[in-house]
Amino acid sequence: MTSTACFIIVSRNDIPIYEAEVGSAAKREDAAQLHQFVLHAALDIVQDLAWTTSAMFLKAIDRFNDLVVSVYVTAGHTRFMLLHDSRNEDGIKSFFQEVHELYIKILLNPLYLPGSRITSSHFDTKVRALARKYL
Amino acid sequence: MGRDVSESCIDSLLTEMVSTYCNRFYANKPELAARRIEAIGYQVGHQLSERYTMERPRFSDHLEAIKFICKDFWFELFKKQIDNLKTNHRGTFVLQDNRFRWLTRMSIDQSPENGTSEELSIMADNKTMQSMHLYFPCGIIRGALSNLGIPCAVSADISNLPACSFVIRIKA
Repeated sequence: MTSTACFIIVSRNDIPIYEAEVGSAAKREDAAQLHQFVLHAALDIVQDLAWTTSAMFLKAIDRFNDLVVSVYVTAGHTRFMLLHDSRNEDGIKSFFQEVHELYIKILLNPLYLPGSRITSSHFDTKVRALARKYL
Repeated sequence: MGRDVSESCIDSLLTEMVSTYCNRFYANKPELAARRIEAIGYQVGHQLSERYTMERPRFSDHLEAIKFICKDFWFELFKKQIDNLKTNHRGTFVLQDNRFRWLTRMSIDQSPENGTSEELSIMADNKTMQSMHLYFPCGIIRGALSNLGIPCAVSADISNLPACSFVIRIKA
């Protein structure tokens, strides 16, 4: 069963620090740009919603055709955004929680400048593995 | 995530860090040494706050974040909570710890009966050295609050050891 999914991490300064197409469908050039566009457009909605609740997982906040945007906000206001077509909410929540742990491990690296792009290939491999497992 | 570390190891590391920055790296420039040590504390506070806020819901306002620093954050770092929190409700908070863990091994100088100028200057030096040790915890608090979205300035006051007060001024 192929699924489309695009995952980005946006820092507190609204700069994307990590992007990945993690769906199992074949990658198409125009689809990737469209996914990024939809996710960036959803940032405004996240901004408003983040102040109304103290939960971290904001579930589905926006729709585009049949794709849904789900967001998870950390205490440091770093946003994990996922554009997907599946309806598996528990899986997505577990995915976000595991990525949060990976993100903290990146942060604990003293040579990592907070707010800069995450370039570790190890992180990339792990995120893709988690996506295959939970999405 | 999270393993135990020997406390004497931490104490020795911090003492050596302050001593190295003050006596070797920036030997005659105490302000630069202080800024460096505070910057290290800033990064550590940033990382620690991210780690300790993972399990709990996010904060709705400044007071919640400060209470988190006083209770959970301080407990994770020092196995105790802040003893006293005062605020003027206009952006200034005073956190008082009656027995600050990293200063417990520091000697308390008794003031001399009739201070000669030499003894007074030695005492002033001691005060400077003691205050150097406070830049790291001030940096930790500042880093943690900045990560939670609260830019602030933190200073410390050790007029009566081993109690220590941290004054947080939130930038409007």
